[in-house]
Amino acid sequence: MVPIQYNARSLLVRKVTTLATAGGIALVVFVFAGALMFNAGVTRALATSGSPDTAIILRKGSDAELSSAIGNDYLGLFRGPAQVSQAGGMVGEIIVVVTADHADGSGVSNVLVRGTPANGIAFRPEVHITRGRAPRPGTNEAIVGQSIAGRFAGMSIGGTINLKRNSPLTVVGEFTAGGSTYDSEVWADLDYVRNSLGRQAAVSSARVRLSSAADFEGYRQLIETDKRFAMKVMRETDYYEKQSQQTAGLFTAMGLALAIMTSIAAMIGAAITMNGAIAHRTREIGTLRALGFSRGAVLSSFLLEALLLALIGGVIGSIAVVSLSLVSVPLINFATFSEIVIRFHATPDVFIKALIFSGVMGLLGGLAPAIRASRVTPVEAMRG
Amino acid sequence: MNLATYARRNLFRRRGRTIMTVVAVMVCVLILCLLRTVIAAWNAGADAASTDRLSTRHKVSITMQLPQRYIDELRQVPGVKAATWANWFGAKDPKERVPFFAGFAVDVNSWFDVQDEMVVPPDQLAAWKATPSGAILGDVLARTLGVKVGDRLVITSDIYPGDWQFTVSGIYTAKRKSVDRNTFLLRWDFLNNDPRAVYSKDHLGWMVSRISDASHSADISRQIDARFDIHDDQTLTMTERQFALSFLGGFAAILSAFDLVSLVILAIMTLILANTVAMSVRERTHEYGVLRAIGFTPAYIRGFILGESVLVAVVGGLAGIAVVYLVVNQGIGPALEENMSGLFPYFRASAQVLIGALVAAVVLGVVAGAVPAIRAGRLKVTDALRRID
Repeated sequence: MVPIQYNARSLLVRKVTTLATAGGIALVVFVFAGALMFNAGVTRALATSGSPDTAIILRKGSDAELSSAIGNDYLGLFRGPAQVSQAGGMVGEIIVVVTADHADGSGVSNVLVRGTPANGIAFRPEVHITRGRAPRPGTNEAIVGQSIAGRFAGMSIGGTINLKRNSPLTVVGEFTAGGSTYDSEVWADLDYVRNSLGRQAAVSSARVRLSSAADFEGYRQLIETDKRFAMKVMRETDYYEKQSQQTAGLFTAMGLALAIMTSIAAMIGAAITMNGAIAHRTREIGTLRALGFSRGAVLSSFLLEALLLALIGGVIGSIAVVSLSLVSVPLINFATFSEIVIRFHATPDVFIKALIFSGVMGLLGGLAPAIRASRVTPVEAMRG
Repeated sequence: MNLATYARRNLFRRRGRTIMTVVAVMVCVLILCLLRTVIAAWNAGADAASTDRLSTRHKVSITMQLPQRYIDELRQVPGVKAATWANWFGAKDPKERVPFFAGFAVDVNSWFDVQDEMVVPPDQLAAWKATPSGAILGDVLARTLGVKVGDRLVITSDIYPGDWQFTVSGIYTAKRKSVDRNTFLLRWDFLNNDPRAVYSKDHLGWMVSRISDASHSADISRQIDARFDIHDDQTLTMTERQFALSFLGGFAAILSAFDLVSLVILAIMTLILANTVAMSVRERTHEYGVLRAIGFTPAYIRGFILGESVLVAVVGGLAGIAVVYLVVNQGIGPALEENMSGLFPYFRASAQVLIGALVAAVVLGVVAGAVPAIRAGRLKVTDALRRID
């Protein structure tokens, strides 16, 4: 093996070229890791909204809470089966999407309002009031998720949200549910919301806490085959996973496709640099061969140099991309047509993939030049 | 020997490197054009949306509906020439051949008068008016579902339970490129008379009106909303363009992220070009010394280097836009329009995009060559000659 210091010093000597090439790779890695962080952000927001031991019940044929409706009479029947946790219980909720003006005057958007019963907050242990107080059941009081608090007119403590003429919701608090999509919702009293909408007889969906996640399949079969109603039962985590695919799948795929296409350019850049390096060092390579290093040793040495060069880029790109975790972007959740706020999310997985990606770029870009280097014959090189 | 000849000859001294750099520039230009075309395709809906058509919906929520009598009141508002309405049907293909398409229940008598960018043959329209269970489909949707006029078709809905049987009365084509050719239209009266639609009986999803003068759209919108302000169900009226923009607003951040990626691609291209130029200049420092010694001025040296950089950029840029023209505009673009018209009703790189990318390549060729050129121009003849690398 040729010592790695040889490669490291060679890269250092050619500072400008090394930086330009690594910089190109860093930019590609930035795009790649950015797309992964976006996807991780959407997954975090939507995946943490669900829990595996909770079943969500929708009317058969509906894909989302927004288009579903379930008569009040059925709610009691969902609670009956043995799989239902007696302590956890059930919530039946109504969903409505309201038009809201952006506080900065940039136009209108849609915000999801959830009418939830008195046990709605307790049903989700991850929910905490961050400012103000919890709403009193049976009143027109509401709380807003902290991702949208202040983003929209009326959606901050003391503000009002109109559901119907002369029956506004009054915001009394802000809450968080650990970065989930609930953070982009408004929560109010179930009956107050239903009365405002004139839909007293139905809810949009029901959520049932099961004794354990393993009980889901049995519960699903029981409810879906019940002839008294036509319902669809999904594991809450699956329900949100599907939404996250619908919402972010296209953009993530585009981001990754862009990164992979630009990586072709970056690989060519690496190949140009390595070719140049090898052309300059033909005499050195000849010396190495004359000293007894094998063709394989020369090949692996130059591959290693290309890898090192690409990893410098990968590390720079990975460090730069961390800054994205300060960025939040609004996005339409296609399942609800309402706006959710996504924060770019860095996970170890993102960085591992980014470094592997940069390494692959280096190896592929450096392969042809390294083969060329390994073919140098000592005699010709030292003569030349 | 002039500048271009010198630049050209120099390029072939390291043929492999020049070709690779040209290919890298080509790849960057290609990706840039693709990305700009995707962004343009998304904006196309809003760009093409008319300003002489107003959309009136429930003020509180897009999911809330308006009483049927509102359409008659809307038609009385001064400046409104014609009006129609639609309800969201939540249509789905039970065999799941199409992941998503829009399904509207619309007024059989007035829809195509107002939505005149959807064209349906008169005999098919007459057949639709005579068939309550008739449906009209976009040409792309009809092809995907494998139906033609006269066929029976089963559609399900995520709002109204059960199977819905339709007869295909007609197939509409698009007058403009930005029109969705994947829409399914059923008759509103057919839906309204069905017991499954009891919750939305005699209610309208939203109303669309054509106004006589687009320049008064803001005034007329205000008048419409004022007219319904005294009722329980208040309205929100805006032009179709504002409506499309408010929808795009939900993706504004994503679109700006892709704008940022465009800049990243340009930066990568510049770095690769600059690296190539820097490498060539370093190899030829001695020659530049000779050229200076026999009387060429620093301006010439700078010209040689810049000329070389720009030439590579131009060749790569031209190759890139040629590939875009052949592959996108003649190949995958039309295929995308046929198969993904919901997402990309129109997918061709415009002349603006192609020329923009070429100009960017030229400008960045200058940028990439500038630093090495200036540094080479400043070299003292003696220093340059002393360097033997």
